[in-house]
Amino acid sequence: MTVPRVRFSDERLANGLRLIISEDHLAPVVAVNIWYNVGSKHEVPGKTGFAHLFEHVMFQGSRHVAKAEHMALVQAAGGTMNGTTWLDRTNYFETMPSHQLELALWLEADRMATLLDALNQENLDNQRDVVKNEKRSSYDNRPYGAWFHKLQEHLFPPEHPYHHPTIGSMEDLDAASLEDVAAFFRTYYAPNNAVLSIVGDVDPVQARAWVGRYFGEVPANPAIPPLGDLSLPSVIGAESREVVEDRVPLPRLFFGFRAPRLGDPRFDALQIAGQILAGGKGSRLYRRLVREEKIAQDVAFFSLGLIGGASIAAGQATVRPGVDPDVVERAFEEELERLGREPVTDDELARARALIETFELDALQRVDERADRLSMYATLLDDPGMINHQLDRYLAVSAADIQAVAAEVLRPENRAVITYVPAAGVAAGTEEATAA
Amino acid sequence: MTLEQILSARPSPGQPRSYDFPPFERTVLPSGLQVLAVDVPGRPLISANLLIRRGGGDEPAEFAGATVQAARAMTEGTERYPGVELLEASERLGATLHVEASWDAFFASVDVAATRLPAALELLSELVQRPTFPEADVARLRDERLNDLLQVKADPRRRVDQVFVSTIYSGDSPYARPLGGDEETVPRLTPEVLRAVHRAVLDPGQAAFIVGGDLSGLGVPQIVAAAFGALAQDSSAASGAGALPPRVDSAVDRPIVRFYHRPGSVQTELRIGHVGLSRRAPDFHAVQIMAAILGGLFNSRLQMNLREEKGYTYGIGAGFDMRRGAGPFSVRTAVQTAATVPAISEILSELDRIRESEVTPTELAAARDYLVGVFPLRFETPGAVVAALGGLFIHSLPDDELARYRHEIEAVTIADVQKAAQDHIAPGRLAIVAVGDADAVGTELQAAGFGDFEVITEEMSAGEAPAGEAPAGLDGGEEEAE
Repeated sequence: MTVPRVRFSDERLANGLRLIISEDHLAPVVAVNIWYNVGSKHEVPGKTGFAHLFEHVMFQGSRHVAKAEHMALVQAAGGTMNGTTWLDRTNYFETMPSHQLELALWLEADRMATLLDALNQENLDNQRDVVKNEKRSSYDNRPYGAWFHKLQEHLFPPEHPYHHPTIGSMEDLDAASLEDVAAFFRTYYAPNNAVLSIVGDVDPVQARAWVGRYFGEVPANPAIPPLGDLSLPSVIGAESREVVEDRVPLPRLFFGFRAPRLGDPRFDALQIAGQILAGGKGSRLYRRLVREEKIAQDVAFFSLGLIGGASIAAGQATVRPGVDPDVVERAFEEELERLGREPVTDDELARARALIETFELDALQRVDERADRLSMYATLLDDPGMINHQLDRYLAVSAADIQAVAAEVLRPENRAVITYVPAAGVAAGTEEATAA
Repeated sequence: MTLEQILSARPSPGQPRSYDFPPFERTVLPSGLQVLAVDVPGRPLISANLLIRRGGGDEPAEFAGATVQAARAMTEGTERYPGVELLEASERLGATLHVEASWDAFFASVDVAATRLPAALELLSELVQRPTFPEADVARLRDERLNDLLQVKADPRRRVDQVFVSTIYSGDSPYARPLGGDEETVPRLTPEVLRAVHRAVLDPGQAAFIVGGDLSGLGVPQIVAAAFGALAQDSSAASGAGALPPRVDSAVDRPIVRFYHRPGSVQTELRIGHVGLSRRAPDFHAVQIMAAILGGLFNSRLQMNLREEKGYTYGIGAGFDMRRGAGPFSVRTAVQTAATVPAISEILSELDRIRESEVTPTELAAARDYLVGVFPLRFETPGAVVAALGGLFIHSLPDDELARYRHEIEAVTIADVQKAAQDHIAPGRLAIVAVGDADAVGTELQAAGFGDFEVITEEMSAGEAPAGEAPAGLDGGEEEAE
């Protein structure tokens, strides 16, 4: 099986906007995807959650687009859209019927050029309330909800921007002002800080002309402040542990490790290791902890690629009722240590490779995924061509590579362990405490 | 031109490229199994899906959860491949086999490169036709399900979904129960029970095998016949259940409020609704438009009111879960605790408004243009095309249902929308089901007089849980605007 090669053009407008276009006429659909090189790692103490709150403001209108009209126009055109914020970046995207491409480009250009004209206190206050409800709904009111934020605290020192969560704190959200929004926009939302990818049923000559028309006159910001040195020691130095009481019936263990940056071949090896450890019922952790020893309800292991000093590798196991969490932790850690001690078998590696090839083929079928990856590789690695090399890199990972990265990353002095336990009065098989 | 001149002129759309839902070919094998082949040129990953019109809605009440558990247990070993050996063999082909059950149907599917389709279907066939249901593994899956029910109780979002359906459906309606079974029924799901379900499911007369992707050079009916031609039902198991929709009844005949107390909650999870519609509702397209305006579009009435004006919630939606039987109609949201009563007031007034007055031409156009325009986007991959054809089969809809879809949507009028709202939204039997902090807002909610009021402070025995749901928390950490 061969994964089709993604052909694309890669150029910069005079104002610095990086434009990537990739034609694919199979379906009458086009994806527009813009990455701004700003994420929660650009936030400073006292202003956490700001990059994400700002993302919401981007849907509140610009000079020629009313509040919420962005969504109305995209949906009336038969399109879908959203935006997301993460540690390294913020992205915005629309998938449109191909004859509506110009509308999506105009909408993105209008807010890049004129957002502040529509900014007002009422809209900011409204979206602040929405984001606070997002925080409640996604984290504060969910069992085990703070697990990832806990791992961030343990894996990164307080002065490192990966230490704090992208959603921010309620206090900092409350403190965000119109001036903060305006300053953030002027600093980071400039064409020379963005990558625009257009993928699908598109005439490149026409698309290039539209991009030039709508984005070409948007001024660059020549003074985007550099982020500073985010480099870190490759390991955290000593195991870091926390026990968290929560209103949960079953204990759950979360493991975190500092890992090599996205783009490092060792990170590719870690991804294959994750498949062998916890990808499906034949994987090592599932087979041992869930099927054979029956000490865990579920297991997981995955890695999140980041570029600011280190990535994150993380694992999880939910402890079965009546089982000592220490027993589950020991079994989990033994499997991680075994991966660093002896090579995986040829069959394990062959299965992982075959599956990853199918996963890549599946993901790259969709124009939105291709556009997002082109923007990602251009923004984070300055190399959109990675879209065509990533699979080869995965397939090149050897048993020795996996053993080496496991020995280096998945070791006790680089490990954070967060153990969620039922709070007093909440235990498996008993009624939830009803006292206020 | 200045930037202002350029941006002040809104672009108009180009000429739309025509799009037709891809045509499919049907072959009926001697057993009665239908084979549908849909060519999607240029898509080398083939989607192959066996579906059988028999799901959780068709199982006996005392064995609730049996179809889901049988589907899960089928990957625990077969006659030729004990344990996980069959899954490992499929992984060597780069194929992941999925077996699952919904309320409406049983599914066994695989996505695989075209050259490996015959080998993958051989494995799928072994898995579907010769599972062994080992005692120890079936027992473990039972325990996992019971543990998951404990987790449901702790998660306000899953908990409210569970108690909402057990509130609105009468106890003898299958949809009142969790699809995966509850604390009462799961312990009964022995290997013998799962084997009986398995025999009943394997009914070629209620089955379709749908294959989509770039089929050039592939003889789909021959490949499917080689793997599944012998699919046959033990005559003793024939029930015919799959041919009839499950019978369901409402348990609610007046407005009621059920507040499940979860002390310390910072939000109230809300589900407001009642028994709704089956997919075969004759005014399906008008209902789609009405639901989009009420709670489907990003800028739906509920979203604009409760999110974009009031800021009570991160998101709110409403819609009809249309099954072979009458699935639930629900408004779904979570609001900050202090906003519980005003949020419910706004939701109820929106439900009244869409019944009592006509939607505007602008609202009708927004919903219509979205549903018509997004149609080609929905079918970009073979998996989506195959799933859509599966829906036609499950609901016994005509072959041209998808070809007619956009015309039917375009024909819906303002009067049709209002009639759909009046016919299918029933304020007189709304259940308002909440999971939140009753100490904080219980008194205020009772005083609001929305309906017959009850606070439930003890755990319930029923538990709804989608089987096989991923562990919470591993769906990435991105913050989304929508």
